[in-house]
Amino acid sequence: MKRIFVQTILAFTFEVCFSQTVIPEWFENLPQAPPGTMYSVGYSGKYVNHSLARETAIAVATKNMVKQIKSRLAFEIEELSDGRFRLLNPSFRLSYEKDIYVNIVDKCVIADSAITDNGYFVLLAYPDIQHHISGNLKKWGNKPAWTEKLPFNKEYNYGVGIVSNYSSWVRAWKDADEYARFVLGKNFETEARSIHTSKRDNKFIVESNILRQSYDKEFSNTIVISRWYDRENDTYYSLCRQAKKFNK
Amino acid sequence: MKKPIVIALLVPMVFMLMNCGGKPKAKMNNIPEWYLNPPKAEDAIYEAGDAAKQSMGLAKEAADARARDAISRTIEVKVSNMLKNFMQESGIGEDAEALEFTSSVSKQVSNNVLRGARIVKREMKTEGSMYHAYSLAEYNLNSLIQETLNEAKKQKALYNEAKANLSFEDLEKEIQKLEAVGQ
Repeated sequence: MKRIFVQTILAFTFEVCFSQTVIPEWFENLPQAPPGTMYSVGYSGKYVNHSLARETAIAVATKNMVKQIKSRLAFEIEELSDGRFRLLNPSFRLSYEKDIYVNIVDKCVIADSAITDNGYFVLLAYPDIQHHISGNLKKWGNKPAWTEKLPFNKEYNYGVGIVSNYSSWVRAWKDADEYARFVLGKNFETEARSIHTSKRDNKFIVESNILRQSYDKEFSNTIVISRWYDRENDTYYSLCRQAKKFNK
Repeated sequence: MKKPIVIALLVPMVFMLMNCGGKPKAKMNNIPEWYLNPPKAEDAIYEAGDAAKQSMGLAKEAADARARDAISRTIEVKVSNMLKNFMQESGIGEDAEALEFTSSVSKQVSNNVLRGARIVKREMKTEGSMYHAYSLAEYNLNSLIQETLNEAKKQKALYNEAKANLSFEDLEKEIQKLEAVGQ
């Protein structure tokens, strides 16, 4: 009994201490794709069966590719507060076209794949490419500047997605990637409306606010180009980029 | 035997007392400098927002939304000031007309879409079990000036069109026609 307990603790400690320590180079920074080609990354957790892990990673990469090529994003956030309570209601909706998905499944190719202690990683190329990439495994680098300050470039729009305290790193990266895409949309265009009132009586000032911000727009070429994992705070960062020429 | 019982009772009480006093407050040296004193620039508006929530995602969303809302409210004031120059140049100057024109244009601009209002800096702090997010939004004034001018020109065109359609000369002609029919 004691032995099982010790083994469980050790396994848990190993999982916590060594989660996401080694990753393929292209998972941290997506390489520049040849003209007319696009890369996307897929990942899956630990599987007993490697082929199942690979299948799951390819499915994630394929969906990421569709979202990159063209997806419709609808975001809305409402905040109500009247001095006694505060309600916050964000909503995120993403949809993509089935035809694009089918086309990708038909024409994509695996440019590279890697297995680590934590999972399976796949780099997908669409359409087919002649040469394959051989990305080395590496440890996470130092904290990049974009995690604190949004990059500025006349030709690109950017968005950073952040999530923390997830029990599954696969879920965490999926959400960080999605949030980055939605933040890019917000940075590009947001409809903002709000009403602020302040009522004063003999004793108190009660401030009431209603805030609503939203957008609903189709975006193309939104690519997650960089990721960074903060081990100290268990926080995941994704940087999404879109060339401005695709969104006029 | 009594000693361990006393310790066992005292330890939870100490922890309970330590947790009294409501939500933990942000330490002043933890608050980002740009939140307390947002940067100032001639060609951009900067506004900061913050939110403390149990969930990091919600804290971030709320802080971003509040920073953007602050930008949206600042714009109304900026637009009113910008329009004074525009009205002087385009010859719209009578008080009642000017007031209506300004409020109409500024409403259109600020209630419409914020294009390019970006969250340029963000910091996440932990306060007890809460996440405290600080966001700094930047809005480029060049896009605001362009949007205000476009809206003002649109409004001015509508105003001139309405004025042309309802000129006194036309009205007099219509009355003369009616009078001719009556005779």
